[in-house]
Amino acid sequence: MNITKAGYHGIMLPDLNIGFDYSGTGTQHTFISHAHSDHMPRNRKSSVYCTENTYKLMQRRGFSGEATILDFGNPLETDLARITLFPAGHILGSAMVFVESVDGSVLYTGDYRTPASPASEGFKIPEQVDHLITEATFSLPIYKWAPHEELSQQVRNFATKTLEDGYTPIFLAYNLGKAQEVMHMLAPLGHLVQIHGAGYKMCDVYEEAGIDLGNYETYDRKTCEGKILVTTSSALNNGFASNVSKKRIAYCSGWAAREAARAQLTVHELIPLSDHLDFFELIRLCEELNPKMVHITHTPNANVVQHYLDQRNINSRFLDMEAEEDDQ
Amino acid sequence: MNNLFRQLTDTAKQIAETRSTNNKISIGAKYFKTIATDDDLHLAAQFLSEGAFSSISGKRTSVGSRTYSTCAAKFCEVDYEKVFKPCKRALGSSSETIEKLMHNLEPARKKRIEKQLTLSEVEKIYQALYRLSSRADKQEILREAWTKMSPVEIKYFIRIMTQGSLRIGFETRSVISALAEAFEKEVQDVRYAHMITGSTGRTAVLCRNNTLDEATFKLFHPISFMLASPIESRTVDSLEGYVAEEKFDGMRAQTHVSGQKVELYSRDLNDITQSFPEIVQFFVSRNLPNLVLDGEICVYKDEEILPFQLLQKRMGRKKPTQKVMEEYPVLFIAYDVLYHSDQPIFECSLTKRRNLLVQLSNKHSLPITNQFNVRDQEHIEELFERALAHGNEGLMLKKKKSSYEYGQRRKSWLKVKKPGGTLDTVIMYAHAGSGKRGGYYSDFTLGISVKEDERYEEEFIPIGKAYGGYTDEEMKRLNERIKELTVERYGPTLGLIPKIMVEIEFDDVQVNNRTKANYTLRLPRFKAIRWDLDPKDTDTLKDVERMYQEKIDRERLKQDKNPSFHLKAKQ
Repeated sequence: MNITKAGYHGIMLPDLNIGFDYSGTGTQHTFISHAHSDHMPRNRKSSVYCTENTYKLMQRRGFSGEATILDFGNPLETDLARITLFPAGHILGSAMVFVESVDGSVLYTGDYRTPASPASEGFKIPEQVDHLITEATFSLPIYKWAPHEELSQQVRNFATKTLEDGYTPIFLAYNLGKAQEVMHMLAPLGHLVQIHGAGYKMCDVYEEAGIDLGNYETYDRKTCEGKILVTTSSALNNGFASNVSKKRIAYCSGWAAREAARAQLTVHELIPLSDHLDFFELIRLCEELNPKMVHITHTPNANVVQHYLDQRNINSRFLDMEAEEDDQ
Repeated sequence: MNNLFRQLTDTAKQIAETRSTNNKISIGAKYFKTIATDDDLHLAAQFLSEGAFSSISGKRTSVGSRTYSTCAAKFCEVDYEKVFKPCKRALGSSSETIEKLMHNLEPARKKRIEKQLTLSEVEKIYQALYRLSSRADKQEILREAWTKMSPVEIKYFIRIMTQGSLRIGFETRSVISALAEAFEKEVQDVRYAHMITGSTGRTAVLCRNNTLDEATFKLFHPISFMLASPIESRTVDSLEGYVAEEKFDGMRAQTHVSGQKVELYSRDLNDITQSFPEIVQFFVSRNLPNLVLDGEICVYKDEEILPFQLLQKRMGRKKPTQKVMEEYPVLFIAYDVLYHSDQPIFECSLTKRRNLLVQLSNKHSLPITNQFNVRDQEHIEELFERALAHGNEGLMLKKKKSSYEYGQRRKSWLKVKKPGGTLDTVIMYAHAGSGKRGGYYSDFTLGISVKEDERYEEEFIPIGKAYGGYTDEEMKRLNERIKELTVERYGPTLGLIPKIMVEIEFDDVQVNNRTKANYTLRLPRFKAIRWDLDPKDTDTLKDVERMYQEKIDRERLKQDKNPSFHLKAKQ
């Protein structure tokens, strides 16, 4: 199976005329795994395949090209291959792309998380895969996530305690995916949430998909004090809620697992809530699938994954792609 | 009941997770109050602020980062090179890496059963590490100790062991405040006792037993130096409150004298007596009362104060040869007196201390700085220029009414200095930061050009390493650019295509034969990242050599007229 890099973020199966998260025009069938900007087509006018939710989210983020909607588990047949989307558990709409051909099968994970984010369509994987093309954003054994319920409780406790102390809680969370997951966690509290505009415009897609985001409205500087606020760290640096002096900030990201994050962002609480799988989940998944070859992307530490896979007699190689620093 | 190490590490963790300094202090105070015995209180205060051993004891566990890191990798059953090092690079901290691996990895979890070690048991482990010298023995102690600890305990155990910061934003100053709060004492009294004892552990016990007044100054126990703040412009609100002295280009030192016994201490409170036998001889011959003086060691020859570069030939030498002593004769010039007639006199005003110093100088012929009442701004300019003409660094402005604020850097002493110089350099290597800067490349090796220098084959060679002096935004931009320019990787260090230009400022140029350039810069720091410059604008080694030579060759005003100091004060 011929697997190559294509452009800054894309991957191509040239023999099958297939591209994954690819922005060029060199393939006939291009599949977009999810609506984060490092995976969306750079060329806004491209014609692509993706899930309906990904399409809706991409449109809200400025994509004006055409997309053919492909439902999970409902294969597309081309002359050379059969392509099926599997839910990736990363954010709403996120899909893994499974390609079956006479040369064998390929699973392109895009970004994924298992166990899945409750604010997604879940996580499901094919039974047998020859080539696994996997992201490895958190590919070091220092990264091991706490159980979801524990993190969820931490989010609610932070909000409740902060409000009780007479402060305004602010969650720093990426505006697509993490923000809505945090809101979903907060929903049982019934307290009004204000979310930054860039994240607000994604929320109706989540609600249409049946995900409870609780009681929320768009951020309003004049009325934000005393609400639970959700925004990104860059917005916070640019005056978000700067009129509120009594506030406490929680940073929700896999990178919050690092002690240095506390000083770098000057936050009160670190909540290591990631929308990627951790190192141990990655290795376990490779073991379970036991593919002929694991192709590792999106990490500065492919060597570490390869070292662990070598010990398990699983072949692997590094597909050198830039890792994004944002935990999206 | 014995206090557990676990309680200390839980407190440290809670302090780390708290933002406000006052809240940190309250948490610390609450913890100190729970401790039952003097011995435990001593250890707790010491562990939180100094390390395994008290700073003044000079004792160290002497366990290097490689020793405990390889030991931890083995304990966790991971490959040191292939797994541990990348993890450490990502976090910028060995101890945090170890904490996480101990927590996450099954083989490490299986080996550990938390045994609720007491503070004194942990102290015994540190003692054992101190006693044993081989790496294998030390590693065996570590392995054994870790089997009894939680990951959080292990992290702080290591930070205490290495005598470094716990990185919880709770430094000595806060520990002092927490002790004052816990035992309802005045902060300044606790700070005084700490300065005198040099030990937070001892101070804590004195606090609790209401015996702070037992802490008295003793000869031959150096105290922290009073430090000066830089003055931004040469303007002070009200000049009449200040006096001026020339700021010497020498080495700060504290001299303790009692009869035939004389000891000299450096700014980091190390004993440097042996390097300067003629100063010892000088004080012995003066027939002085018991005395502590603050002042500066300078090379003084033919009525000229010679540059710091020459004093370097004398520093760090255990026993200077006769030849070196003749070539670079040194002098101790006093500018303050801290102890006299068997009484510490820090609390007296500068004016009072100065009067005493003048009397001593007259009676015993001690060299002391010349002090000037400053009339106006113009007068300061005149004095500053003259100080530079003498080869000195600039001026010190001292508040007449100030006490000797040991260990503090406030506005009672102000230094007026001219920066040594600036250079346009290029970034050659980027180094992963640690602590607050973990996860970023924050330290940089800077190069100067030797492209047209026949002595070198390279284009650029390193001249110094600098960090800080840039904003967070600039650091992010630097890190983005660094990614694009990286061509090599050596562990936590990246080799870069030389493209990013940095204008650096430094205090001085010094010869250093252990470096490729044969020169090092004193206190190099970022002045500006010069995105506008091109690597061909990089200054050359020849420029550095010229700066050095100019400094050495500069005409120095003799000390015969308007001297910077005098042996016998005119009064």
